[in-house]
Amino acid sequence: MKKMIVVFKREYLQAVRRKMFIFMTFAFPALMAALMVIPSFLMMRGLGEKHVAILDGTGKLHDAYLHPVTRTPRTDLQRMQQRREVPQAMQFDYVDHAADPKPYLARMTQRAKDGQLDGVLIVPSDALTNPESHLKYYSRTATDFISQERLSSMTNRAVQRFRLQAHGIGPDVMNQVMTEMTLDSVQLSKTGEEQKGGSANFFVGFVLCALLILPTIVSGLDVMRGIIQEKTDRVVEVLISSVTPSQLLIGKILGTAAVGLTQISVWLVMLGGISIYGAAVISVAGINLSQFIRLQTFIYFPIFFILAFLTYVCIYAIGGAACNSDREAQQLIAPITMVMFLPWFILVVLITNPDSTLSTTFSMSPVFGPMTMYVRTLVSDPPPIQIAVSIVVSIATIALFLWVTAKIFRVGILSYGKRPTIPELWRWMKVA
Amino acid sequence: MPHILAVRDIVKTFSHVRAVDGISFTVQRGTITGLLGRNGAGKTTTIRMITGIFMPDSGSIEWGGAPGGGTFRDRVGYLPEERGLYKQMKVVEQLLFLAEIKGRRAAEVRPLIDRWLERFELVEKRDAKVEELSKGNQQKVQLIGTLLHDPELIILDEPQSGLDPVNMVLVRNLLRELKDEGRTILLSTHMMGEAEKMADEIILIHRGKVVLDGPLEEVRGSFGLNTLHMEFEGDGAFLETLPQVKHAAVSNNTAEIALTEGGDPQKILEAAMGQLRIRKFELAAPSLEEIFIDRVGVETLAAEEMAR
Repeated sequence: MKKMIVVFKREYLQAVRRKMFIFMTFAFPALMAALMVIPSFLMMRGLGEKHVAILDGTGKLHDAYLHPVTRTPRTDLQRMQQRREVPQAMQFDYVDHAADPKPYLARMTQRAKDGQLDGVLIVPSDALTNPESHLKYYSRTATDFISQERLSSMTNRAVQRFRLQAHGIGPDVMNQVMTEMTLDSVQLSKTGEEQKGGSANFFVGFVLCALLILPTIVSGLDVMRGIIQEKTDRVVEVLISSVTPSQLLIGKILGTAAVGLTQISVWLVMLGGISIYGAAVISVAGINLSQFIRLQTFIYFPIFFILAFLTYVCIYAIGGAACNSDREAQQLIAPITMVMFLPWFILVVLITNPDSTLSTTFSMSPVFGPMTMYVRTLVSDPPPIQIAVSIVVSIATIALFLWVTAKIFRVGILSYGKRPTIPELWRWMKVA
Repeated sequence: MPHILAVRDIVKTFSHVRAVDGISFTVQRGTITGLLGRNGAGKTTTIRMITGIFMPDSGSIEWGGAPGGGTFRDRVGYLPEERGLYKQMKVVEQLLFLAEIKGRRAAEVRPLIDRWLERFELVEKRDAKVEELSKGNQQKVQLIGTLLHDPELIILDEPQSGLDPVNMVLVRNLLRELKDEGRTILLSTHMMGEAEKMADEIILIHRGKVVLDGPLEEVRGSFGLNTLHMEFEGDGAFLETLPQVKHAAVSNNTAEIALTEGGDPQKILEAAMGQLRIRKFELAAPSLEEIFIDRVGVETLAAEEMAR
């Protein structure tokens, strides 16, 4: 135990003192924040502004483009969508008759920035009467779906009103007919309380899973490289003559885990600091986190984070113990990584069906358990017995992995040469 | 004399090679024991089994040290043949770590570190990273790491490889000093001349088996005075072909000649005087090198050399 702590201490201090660690810990959140803030910022500054000419053959749709009726946002999702929509302003040149499009099309391709058009929308003169007629939109970029979608919906809403009016329907009735209903999502838990914010949980689930995977990969590779480094530096012979392979491995893995947790704690503290200070990042994303995250999240996150983290890092440790070079180890571990992060790839399925047979099975199986169960606790209310099973299975898995790694380590440690095959690894485990 | 370590009939096989094939020996307390043999004889594998890195396939290793006070692991100091330190660590941190994994407390080791660094003239490198040191200095740091926790048994695998002559003397004197302090040293080396200068007891191994062991003086004495050491002027190549010469190592102006059973040194001298100017002619006990060659057989060695 004492020796394990010595190894732990060395591993932790050496990693934490590295310049790269300090840089990543403090620069990474800034980088992420920049990635979130800068696009919105740019959009607000009008970088995405489009200049479109509308050639309205009906001559009646003036108000649709120059005084559009905006919907009041009802849900967080709508609020987020509008935030994204509104800053990307469109500027319209409105022509109230079926003009010859040629001069306008020429303005699209002209060199001078002044008066240049990004698109030309042609509304046919029979638009209000002929259901078969088509809108035509010319643009330099056929891929600008957002503009196309907005122009189409703005025009159609206005055209619908005129068509209804032609059938003698008054403005009051029209407003009633045209108003959309809002869907309020309510989550019912076992204890009967209602919880709002399903859509927010969806995003929080993604964010926290990403927050779990990234440090895991970084730490896992660190452990793997550390073990290989000890082998290539030949330190390992001195180490193994002083401590047992298990003491060494457990010390190393826990040390690296502590490094990862330190980093995440710093990030969470910084995130907390940011949200307290006027919530610059959060409000841009349109989510008020504190309003939607449930209390359980704070209890289950550390538990399942640590379980998932240790499971994955142990797998990397096996790779390190079996191989003699980073490259070999990467080759061995890459396909395994794909499998072990399976919950991440099917996260949408898990979040939208947290209590399905698939989710339940995954959440109680080794390796996939911690992450899946973590997602379930976030978006659903799994029975405590399942949570307990998941925790027990995970701990057993970690213990088994540590045991296997220690075995492979003892044999692999001093055998140089080519990467062992799976049957060879099996033999190593039996002889050690 | 009480032994500190008894190795009993240990065997280790790697895939199809029997690296160690039933080796037994004891290490007496307070001696320097030389584990001798050529490269690939099985020395390092034997030592790795003693230090607990490998498990023997069969046989046992018994610790005869004082009971209590930490485990066997903690009371052995081991300098591996493949040297290795954490390259990124500072010298002083590295040494502290090495002592701590041997169960010593940092506070009690710190003053010792300074004393050792002074002795090896490394004081100004105290806070340097290991990778910034010269190879020789890295070796010294590792040697300090081996001794820092005050081990009862010190196991050194080729301690002088890679050292310059000055540092070789430094290590030689250090080992004698450690012995005088009552410590036990197991010294593995292929440099038989060095072992001869230091060892009290020798264990000669070849192809995973012990071919000869015992106190150095006894071993040499049992071979009798059957070796000639000569210095001369002229071409001494013909000495190898003389009758009564078992084998001879002739180089420029010197020769070491092993006589056949009952061979008469006087006859050799007569033959030599005819062709060479003799400067020195001495009848001596054989060197370890000679003993080794005699034991294993010169033909076997030549054949093995060819097969390499």
